[in-house]
Amino acid sequence: MNLAAMVGMPGEALRVPRSEWRAALTDAVRAAFAYHYEKNAFYRAQCGDLSPADVTDYEDLQRIPLLPVGMFKQAGSHVLLTAGLADIDTEIRSTGTGGVPSVARRDALTTTRASIGILGGYRDFFGISKGAGMFLCPSTAEVPEMGMVKVFNLMTAMLDDHRYLVRDYAFDAEEALAYLRRWEGEMTRHIIGPPFIVARFMRFLELESIPLHLDPESMIIMLGGWKQYTGRSISREEFNAKAERYLGVERSRIRDMYGMIESNMLAIECEHYRKHVPPWCYVSIRDITDPAIELAPGKTGGIAILDALNTSYPGFLLSDDVGEVDESDCPCGRTGQTVRFRRRRQGAELGCCAVSIEKYLDSHEIVAECDLAAAPGR
Amino acid sequence: MPRFSPQVIDHFTNPRNCGRLPSPDVAAFVGNPVCGDQILLTAHVHDGVITDIAFEAFGCSASLAVASIVTERLRGSPLSDAAVLDQEQVAAWAGGLSPDQRHVAALGADVARRLAENHRDGITDDAPVAAG
Repeated sequence: MNLAAMVGMPGEALRVPRSEWRAALTDAVRAAFAYHYEKNAFYRAQCGDLSPADVTDYEDLQRIPLLPVGMFKQAGSHVLLTAGLADIDTEIRSTGTGGVPSVARRDALTTTRASIGILGGYRDFFGISKGAGMFLCPSTAEVPEMGMVKVFNLMTAMLDDHRYLVRDYAFDAEEALAYLRRWEGEMTRHIIGPPFIVARFMRFLELESIPLHLDPESMIIMLGGWKQYTGRSISREEFNAKAERYLGVERSRIRDMYGMIESNMLAIECEHYRKHVPPWCYVSIRDITDPAIELAPGKTGGIAILDALNTSYPGFLLSDDVGEVDESDCPCGRTGQTVRFRRRRQGAELGCCAVSIEKYLDSHEIVAECDLAAAPGR
Repeated sequence: MPRFSPQVIDHFTNPRNCGRLPSPDVAAFVGNPVCGDQILLTAHVHDGVITDIAFEAFGCSASLAVASIVTERLRGSPLSDAAVLDQEQVAAWAGGLSPDQRHVAALGADVARRLAENHRDGITDDAPVAAG
């Protein structure tokens, strides 16, 4: 199976025998390494004595030099590019609590591959081809470069109708409820958004004592992380219980995803709550104190991603996230790796699109409350 | 029209006046709180003329290029030129910006005007920009 087949048919690629997956992934990552090694002088300089000829087996993938993801925030990040700026098609960004944006630039080939691959992943994991999507996030028109929203937006291709319910950094739960009622009996209703806004909506239903029962095939699909900008975490178990109680969506249809804007790796959760690494990526867990050391599956460490489909810059990244990888067979029938995010690396800012949205939602609500308090006659 | 003008490609790939001047006479910072684009200008001013100027910028390619372009254009100019800089002029210097890049022209003009205002008012902005 070559890279084009992995990207075009990720469902099939995730179900090949493990030996075949390893061989195909090794070929694809090695080819990507050779591509950037040849065309990117900055990256080649990071490689020292290692050349593409030294990467022959699956076990060699860990030798490929990694770029710390923090480099995408630095002023001189243009040196990361293998493609010239004239070839750059999209710029995607994420802003965390620190305020400095991380900007990932993708050329046309990378954008095409990533779009097709992610859409194929959605089809394989969710099986959605119709229905209505209530997106609890801003629209791409409002935040055209926000990575999380771009990834969500691809889902609209599978739906018959959709609405974005965060506008001008405000979320109106009553409007969301009105849309769900409008679609009732006409289309299968899905809820898509970062966990904290879905949780806000469920809190609204709880406080107003409005239990809903969505449709038998309804799904809740999320991305953006479970930690809030305040540092509090949302409990997945409590979330699932509330979703069953207030939305009538069974647990196996509540799905989370994990990714980062600098990578084309979007790990999608199956019905067994394991997030599957897409077939064009290899996740390597690194020793926190010495990232040169790869840890065995099951050990907790820094999450590194080797992404074979990126031609804009070397997609071999050491992230600020900590977690584990699992290479055991999943009951869902997919092979390859699954990844579990645990936390951010100590000292790393809490950084993602969802955190940014939440921070601004809250700041606007505080401003609105202050306006009300200061209004004459109050 | 290509997504990036030749001027933007040139300044993004080969940024001029990048960094922060030591002991500047004036510093100005402008940031977009939503998208996160940020530009910090530091300058030396003598007899109302910008004798040296440097930038630190974070954000999209166009914003980095515009920051470089603005410093190149303002170096050696009277501070009064910075005080009246508008986004149309910045967009023209950048060789044209696509609709989704227009906010960058505003950012470039805003930070130049702020530099002039800060110098007039004796203010030096703190520099919240810091690479992650």
